[in-house]
Amino acid sequence: MTTQTQTQRPPTSTLPARRRSSTGLGGHRFAGPIFASPALLGLAIFLVAPFVLALVLSFYRVQLNSPRPARFVGFEQYTRLFTDPDLAAAFGHALLNNFTFALIVVPVQTVLALALAVLVNRKLRGMVIFRTFIFMPLVFPLALTAVVWRLIYSRGDQGLLNAILGFLSGGTLTSHDWLGDPATAMGSIIVMSIWQSVSFQMIIVLAALQSVPTELYEAASLDRASKWDQFLNVTVPGIRNTLIFVALITTIFSFRLFDQVYLLSRSGSVDRGSTETVMTQIINTGFDNNNVGQAAAMTVIFMLIITLIAIIQRAAARQRGGV
Amino acid sequence: MTMSRTLNSARRGGSMKRTRRWQTALHYLILTVVSLFFFLPVYYLIVGSFRPSEEVLSGLSGFIPTNMSFDNYTGVFDHLGSEATGYFGQFAAVSVIVTTAVVAGSLLVNSMAAYSFARMQWRGKKIVFLLVIVLTIIPFEAVALPLYFMFSGQRDTIYIQAIPFIANAFSIFLFYTFFLDVPGEIEEAARLDGAGPFRTFFQVVVPITKPAFATVAILTFLAQWGSYLWPVLMVSDPTVRPLPLAISIFQNQQPPEWGQVLAFGTMFIVPVLAVFLIFQRWFVASISSSAVKG
Amino acid sequence: MTNPKPHSGARILTAVAAVSIATLTLTGCGGSGAGSTGSAVEAGSGEGTINVWAVDGQAAENDALKKIISNFESSQGKIKVNLKLFPSDQYTKAVNSAAPGDLPDVLDFDGPTLASFVYNGKMAPLKGSVSEATLSNQTDSIKGQNTVDDAVYGVGMMNAGLALWGNKKLLDTAGVAYPTTPEKAWTAEEFTGVLDKLAAVVPGGKPLDLSEQYGFAGEWGTCCSAGPVIWSGGGTMLKDNKASGALDSDANVKSLTTFASWKKYTDPNADGLAFTSGRVALSWVGHWTYPTYKALGSDLISIPLPDFGTGTKTASGTFAWGLGAGSKNGAAAGKFLDFLMMDESVQTYTEANGAPPATKTALAASSLYGPGKQLQLLGDQLSKACGTEEQINDTCVSVTRPVSAGYPIITDQVGKAEAAIYAGKDAKEALSAAARAIDQNFADNDGYKK
Repeated sequence: MTTQTQTQRPPTSTLPARRRSSTGLGGHRFAGPIFASPALLGLAIFLVAPFVLALVLSFYRVQLNSPRPARFVGFEQYTRLFTDPDLAAAFGHALLNNFTFALIVVPVQTVLALALAVLVNRKLRGMVIFRTFIFMPLVFPLALTAVVWRLIYSRGDQGLLNAILGFLSGGTLTSHDWLGDPATAMGSIIVMSIWQSVSFQMIIVLAALQSVPTELYEAASLDRASKWDQFLNVTVPGIRNTLIFVALITTIFSFRLFDQVYLLSRSGSVDRGSTETVMTQIINTGFDNNNVGQAAAMTVIFMLIITLIAIIQRAAARQRGGV
Repeated sequence: MTMSRTLNSARRGGSMKRTRRWQTALHYLILTVVSLFFFLPVYYLIVGSFRPSEEVLSGLSGFIPTNMSFDNYTGVFDHLGSEATGYFGQFAAVSVIVTTAVVAGSLLVNSMAAYSFARMQWRGKKIVFLLVIVLTIIPFEAVALPLYFMFSGQRDTIYIQAIPFIANAFSIFLFYTFFLDVPGEIEEAARLDGAGPFRTFFQVVVPITKPAFATVAILTFLAQWGSYLWPVLMVSDPTVRPLPLAISIFQNQQPPEWGQVLAFGTMFIVPVLAVFLIFQRWFVASISSSAVKG
Repeated sequence: MTNPKPHSGARILTAVAAVSIATLTLTGCGGSGAGSTGSAVEAGSGEGTINVWAVDGQAAENDALKKIISNFESSQGKIKVNLKLFPSDQYTKAVNSAAPGDLPDVLDFDGPTLASFVYNGKMAPLKGSVSEATLSNQTDSIKGQNTVDDAVYGVGMMNAGLALWGNKKLLDTAGVAYPTTPEKAWTAEEFTGVLDKLAAVVPGGKPLDLSEQYGFAGEWGTCCSAGPVIWSGGGTMLKDNKASGALDSDANVKSLTTFASWKKYTDPNADGLAFTSGRVALSWVGHWTYPTYKALGSDLISIPLPDFGTGTKTASGTFAWGLGAGSKNGAAAGKFLDFLMMDESVQTYTEANGAPPATKTALAASSLYGPGKQLQLLGDQLSKACGTEEQINDTCVSVTRPVSAGYPIITDQVGKAEAAIYAGKDAKEALSAAARAIDQNFADNDGYKK
């Protein structure tokens, strides 16, 4: 019954390829490069140049502010990263943490964004207030988020989460060390991150929901489709591009995971190893341990990995008609 | 958890009309639970900021607004009350200046670049644009170290806190998706009127793509206002210190002045929260129109 | 002034410049070293404004420092002080990332960071700038930390001491007898028994505060928690500049495992009020809590840290003051340091934070430290100084943290390992990994030799 609706594309979605050839401003030969140049210059100086510098530094043994001369060591930093059992394990573990975070956060946050959007997409009295509540955390800078959640996760009965759980369970649940226990440390950071940022994705999905043409739903109702069927066969395909977009930006953000972990791991009895991400490891190696060459090598490897992921993701999305 | 409940409610809703009322009640219940999850930490922050430090971390009673006073706020201003420590107002001013500069610069520079990629023809455009897209995935933290290497001579200035963040590949990408949708006829009309590319862009295209600017402005603002790592590396001087660097001062007190931490945090977000609440409708609407572009 | 900037550092920049036009326009290079190490600063005119950097500490400490500075300014008319305070978590970074010209004339530094600051050319020796009288009035226990390669780089107003602060009322209720001198310290085993007894009398069943809220994965862990445990168990962090075979020794594994076993008795103390509110009976922390803890009145007692086998040990050393390597006004800066070390200044400062004075005359005049006074134990511990790790014996008590330019990696790794062990990781594994990381770093830096 729903085959037509499935193939139907939301009218608002755009395929870049289709429009790219539209009217240009052919008369001004240099206008294009001129328009693009300030941003390109900025990207070149503040993103490309330092990345190239990282590439160069990764072949040296070099310390910041050190009187020791930098020493060319060829691929040593890389071979160490892969063969030194400690470094390889730590780097592998950090990568794993990043992937765990991304693998959990991307689907969970995308689905939650959709669920929340569905939840607030009903015209109910007081909905504005509920929406406001949900989107408040968005204005929290991560430095502050980390402080507030550190109190929430605090070990012992004084901690808010422990107090709430104790109260709800009538005292049967005993206090847990959320950030200190390696089993829950990453999970705790994930919940905190979702709290802080899911509402942004929610707003995007909400908007998409509202732009799905109502005729499609009417057609589905005539087909006596249940609400759930409508959701699966009308809503989800209708906002598919948006969901892909949301998953994409969430992926990008989740590989950037830094502030929360960096700040939280320096407070309380947190076991740094269980929450370390590649970013915190790079900063820790480069600044705290003053091993710039090693940090640079990590940067380069990490860049290669996420570039690869991004290419695969985009290719996959394009193949299915997205982005 | 919320997901499955929502879906359940959607499923149940389909069949019987007499369950409608019950369903609405359930909807409200879920809404309440979800809102609590998002709102309680905010509430806790604000209420805690008015309570004595020793009562902030005291289990459930941390939520009860007792012994309220402005002591934590005066405590913050007292501590940050001399040239040596720097002043709260000074930190806030630095944050405002840097954030404003980044947002303004970012809107101008990135929109122009995106427009060039979306609507103009020039040699090498495709390959350059592809490079920009690849750059969207480079996290700033990854280049912070070499960037610091390059600019350590510019430490303790305001401009070095802002300039690196103006050009932003992701913002270019966002603008790009908007500009693709601008009807070609509008530009054509402008061109026939004798408008050059600059006038066309600033007087014709920008006004009809305000939502794009709003979206990028909001995203850039949120990222910049809480910027932490770069200032840690580049700023020592209290006169150019932004707000996020000062939070830890109160945490390091003995015993920790949690009340002051929360007061500081409240002052950090409440102005932003106020602006966002005032413009909420407009804000949601703006992002809405960007939503389906992806 | 010589320019020690490494040759290959310049090559790196050239290489980058070749690939990126952008870099050509940029002059800064974080790698540029500081002034040549070991040479004294320019004496300058002896007047004008001097810049001073310090850690933004406790509110009371800041006030005391400001008061001392205003006393200094009013005691003479020629030198003005421009003080800047930095949040403590950003301080070391601020010093490390400052170019020589941006360094202040006078700076605050934490004892164990001195060697690396000196190594990196951030600081200058005091000889010639600070008076002989000031230098000779420093207590022996603080001199150790302020001396690198036989040159004195710092002078301290205060030292630091650790203790188990006890709540007499709770200890009595539980029927626990407690030691008051280092010789009689509880053994680790006895201590576990004590905790068992105390658990029954405190409200939450967690009678111990280990100052977990400071985070073990940082300087607190190394200096004041893992350090004393390791030293007391007969171990060290380094031996002959190597961590393998020292840090990962069986003695350390045993001691730190025992330490971690106390987690179940430990109140996380995130609010910093566990002791004063009576939630815990024992608090493992430094002298700096004294101004708050003295609220307990005569119920406040100080107990030596547990003995893990070779006698109780504590860490000594703390923040002290030195000269920035780039100072052009050494004479004025020296005068300021002389003033800081005068009895009146030392008194003002140590009264604000409860620290043991680090000058002989002020220590003798102290109202807290000395025979029969409330903090006698902490003073006694400091007077039984071991020196550095290698010099530890059964009877000495206070140990100076490793004086090495490689200290940043040591503290990073030891703290991280302690946090991991405390979180439940295998101690042998955590310590071995830390030892290998330290040795690797030392090897990369040729053992931090000149």
